[in-house]
Amino acid sequence: MNIQEKIAQLVPGMTVAEQGEAVITVPADSFRKLAEALRYDKDEPMDYLRDIVGMDWGEDGLGALYYLESSKTYTRIILKTLTADRENAFLPSVSDLWKTAEIKEREAYDFFGIRFLNHPDMRRIFLREDWKGYPMRKDYDMSSNPLNMENEENADTTDEYYLNPDGTIADQKNIVFDEKDFVINIGPQHPSTHGVLRMRASLDGETICKIDPICGYIHRGVEKISESLTYPQTLAMTDRLDYLSAHQNRHALCMCIEKAAGIEISERAQYIRTIMDELQRIDSHLLFYSCVVMDMGGLTPFFYGFREREMILDIMEETTGGRLIQNYNMIGGVQADIQPDFQRKVKEFIKHMRSVIKDYHDIFTGNVIARTRMEGVGVLTKEQVISLGATGGTGRASGWSNDVRKHHPYGVYDKVDFKEILYTEGDCFARYMIRMDEIMESCNILEQLIDNIPEGEYRVKTKPIIKLPEGNFSASVESSRGEFCVMIESHGDKTPYRLHYRSTGLPLVHSMDTACRGNKIADLIAIGATLDYVVPDIDR
Amino acid sequence: MSNFSEYIKGYTSGIKSLLIGMRTSMKVFCQKNVTEQYPENRHTTLHIPERHRGRLVMIHDAENHHHCIACGLCQMACPNGTIKVVSEMQEDEEGKKKKVLVKYEYNLGSCMFCQLCTNACPHNAIEFVNDFENAVFEKEKLVMTLNHEGSTLAK
Amino acid sequence: MNQSFLDYYNLQPLFMAIHSALCSIMPEGLAIFLEGLVVAVLILIMYAVLAIILIYMERKVCAKFQCRIGPNRVGGKGGLLQVPADVLKILTKEIIELKNSDHFLYALAPFLVIMASILTFSCLPWNKGGEILHMNIGIFFVLAASSIGVLGILLAGWSSNSKYTIIGAVRSGAMIISYELSIGLTVLTMVMMSGTMDIQQIVASQADGWNIFKGHIVAIAAFIIFLIAGNAEANRGPFDLAEAEQELTAGYHTEYSGMHFGFFYLAEYLNLFITSGIATTLFLGGWMPFHIAGLDGFNAVMDYIPGVIWFVGKTFFIVFLLMWIRWTFPRLRIDQVLTLEWKYLMPASLLILLLMTVCKVFGLVF
Repeated sequence: MNIQEKIAQLVPGMTVAEQGEAVITVPADSFRKLAEALRYDKDEPMDYLRDIVGMDWGEDGLGALYYLESSKTYTRIILKTLTADRENAFLPSVSDLWKTAEIKEREAYDFFGIRFLNHPDMRRIFLREDWKGYPMRKDYDMSSNPLNMENEENADTTDEYYLNPDGTIADQKNIVFDEKDFVINIGPQHPSTHGVLRMRASLDGETICKIDPICGYIHRGVEKISESLTYPQTLAMTDRLDYLSAHQNRHALCMCIEKAAGIEISERAQYIRTIMDELQRIDSHLLFYSCVVMDMGGLTPFFYGFREREMILDIMEETTGGRLIQNYNMIGGVQADIQPDFQRKVKEFIKHMRSVIKDYHDIFTGNVIARTRMEGVGVLTKEQVISLGATGGTGRASGWSNDVRKHHPYGVYDKVDFKEILYTEGDCFARYMIRMDEIMESCNILEQLIDNIPEGEYRVKTKPIIKLPEGNFSASVESSRGEFCVMIESHGDKTPYRLHYRSTGLPLVHSMDTACRGNKIADLIAIGATLDYVVPDIDR
Repeated sequence: MSNFSEYIKGYTSGIKSLLIGMRTSMKVFCQKNVTEQYPENRHTTLHIPERHRGRLVMIHDAENHHHCIACGLCQMACPNGTIKVVSEMQEDEEGKKKKVLVKYEYNLGSCMFCQLCTNACPHNAIEFVNDFENAVFEKEKLVMTLNHEGSTLAK
Repeated sequence: MNQSFLDYYNLQPLFMAIHSALCSIMPEGLAIFLEGLVVAVLILIMYAVLAIILIYMERKVCAKFQCRIGPNRVGGKGGLLQVPADVLKILTKEIIELKNSDHFLYALAPFLVIMASILTFSCLPWNKGGEILHMNIGIFFVLAASSIGVLGILLAGWSSNSKYTIIGAVRSGAMIISYELSIGLTVLTMVMMSGTMDIQQIVASQADGWNIFKGHIVAIAAFIIFLIAGNAEANRGPFDLAEAEQELTAGYHTEYSGMHFGFFYLAEYLNLFITSGIATTLFLGGWMPFHIAGLDGFNAVMDYIPGVIWFVGKTFFIVFLLMWIRWTFPRLRIDQVLTLEWKYLMPASLLILLLMTVCKVFGLVF
């Protein structure tokens, strides 16, 4: 039975969008029932909630798109539900079905003012607690929040909205941190939060009782800005999300726009994009190694990672002109053709990398101190990572096979032979080893591609003004630290009606609480480092 | 007894791993340094790739001609409002009205080097160069005029 | 062996001559007071100069381990004046008093730390007749005096009234008190081997061979344990979890600034030197030259080198060894630090003590 027919059986009032991707619209009152049924389906449980995208459809009301995937069959569906009441927008929460919804629903509340019933923690997430209005709504007054230099006090209580039996909505206060808790503040200026992330951790001695991540210190409103930019202009933002996945992020956005606009790109461009993606992955994982080692207090191996990363940056800079902000993928191909000695340098690098990786393992991986600090620490089970939506290496370390390159191939990944690295322990060491093994696997992929780049043009001509047809479009790639996805809703203009990026880091930061509880404060650093999040990507 | 042998095994394997680590770090200790001394290496080892985007320039030839027709496409393409094209209408010899570039203002401080302007330019009048030493003490100096003094449009 | 030649460098007669010369022109009490003053100033100068050398060395060694160059701008090619410049900078910085801190203890803590460090520093045997504090229980005094340091650390953490500092201080307290056991036991082993607690006599007993050679396997094991425990005692990596910057920004001295912070910083480096110095004294023969039995010519050449150079040279060798360790390993976690001490080092040092006793009784040491 087709999944759409199955939904039609459960919810007779559903409609399917005709243009773009098949978005299934479900009335708000039967949404919760459907979500439960899909989540616990026997043959095809939709147990991975990829993202919740809040939306403002103007007259039609406020609502959200739910991107679901099954971890068994990798089928993807998109659900849409909305409420017409803009003043008191309430939707049922699904945070008890998918843990990741806890933080994603907070995001929708923060930007659109949609309150989710029975969500235990309805606080703002990126914006200040005293922010007025909801900025992603189309009728938001841009001058309503002048620059505020006041100190922001974090409330220790939070709201939960629930439905009374008589149909009225009530509010109850939940406690985040008790007065008696020993709350230690980590960040936003802290050596090992990898950017301006703040975590409030309550401790019992050295043991962690609870962690509450506070995001938004570098929230730039990329999605809001993008709504007023043309499609080529939106490209400029992607490199600035997860700067260690710059190529992959831009690849996703280009792919999404090309798919929607029906632009065919040349095989040469596909090859170049894939090679760049893999180089970027090695770059990111080398930095990961450096950071893990440094967070553990070993400052010397930190430089080993940077030494090799420098070589990749040099290779990339020769071709793209950028070291961190690459600007390479364009709609229709890539910005420029590869440098003449690009292939030779990549091959040299692979050879060098294979010879020095032993040093990496000798000085850190095999070290008894590193081993005891990582093994069995911060364990996430497979069920937990799926529910938390922690993709990428973190998910694969717990045995969740979630590699987008394998299950939804893009670029030329269907032409290369590579294996998806999987570990089952789910501890810090497994997460660390995943990345180390992926460096070598990326070298293998590169080796298969580098000599076979076909001739052809690197960029196809596109129309000067790109307009996408109406509908929803999305494209996902395996970025360095998980599934990165671009969701566009177009109303036929040259600017997107709504452009949403699935942050790879947000679910990872959200996993901190689950992974850290009961561990030592020193483990918090190790867990944070091995989860491998990048803050600009979380805050957007 | 097995507990005790495990204890001893842990002891020896731990010490062994530490010694391997020390051997590795000593190996690197004896290797050549990889860092370079920046201002000193300007004329020796410093290599800035051709394609590096340092700042925007307008291409001028030997006769002080540029290719900018003041169409303003770059200004429209820029997401940050970095470029300001000032133009005026002039009549040429045949009496046709034509837009002529007066001033091409570029603010390096707000440029994010996204290359949308160079991609948009129909005549390849502007390009990025790899000159990266652009630090100045005053913000105002970052606002540059790209067309040279007295330059005109190439024929 | 050319025992008499060693006396050539003996400083004792010189000091005695100075003392009697002073006594002849002034009362003895005043003479001793003046001598004390001069010695105190000398100690402080040596302390500061050594700290500068050590910091410079640490920066250069660490840079080399990390494929870098290290400081190289201030003061010509090698960056020689970098550390003096930093010292000047730190001297001119404001000392910040926190509003809710315990002001008296907050100000006292760095002095306790530096005092402990200077007291132990004074016991080092620089040369024959060249030690500053000489008593027949010298090594015991060193152990006792060095324990004052932990008091300073605990007070610093407590009085700063900050969560980071208190965690750092408690960690440090737990760690140092534990590791003092291993230090005590290994020192005891060596005291037993030498048969005295007097530092000069411990050195003198190594005239016919350093303890590490005489005591063979047992002494080498004791040496390694002493280095590990001493490293922990000096709060240096991989045992720097008291100031674990990745977790606690700077641990117990997070809230200190200016020269107050400078004292902690100085004490850290000098403790490194003192640990190495004590290790040199106990295991590597202090200021004794290196001799190979039977090679008289070689031995005579070695004897020409003054004792102070031997002592400093050996100490800096151990300092380098400790830096090598520091810049190789990741940091341990607090429970691992305690596990290492109580499950591995403590039993091992007890065993070594026992073995040393057996060796001594059956004459198995040379």
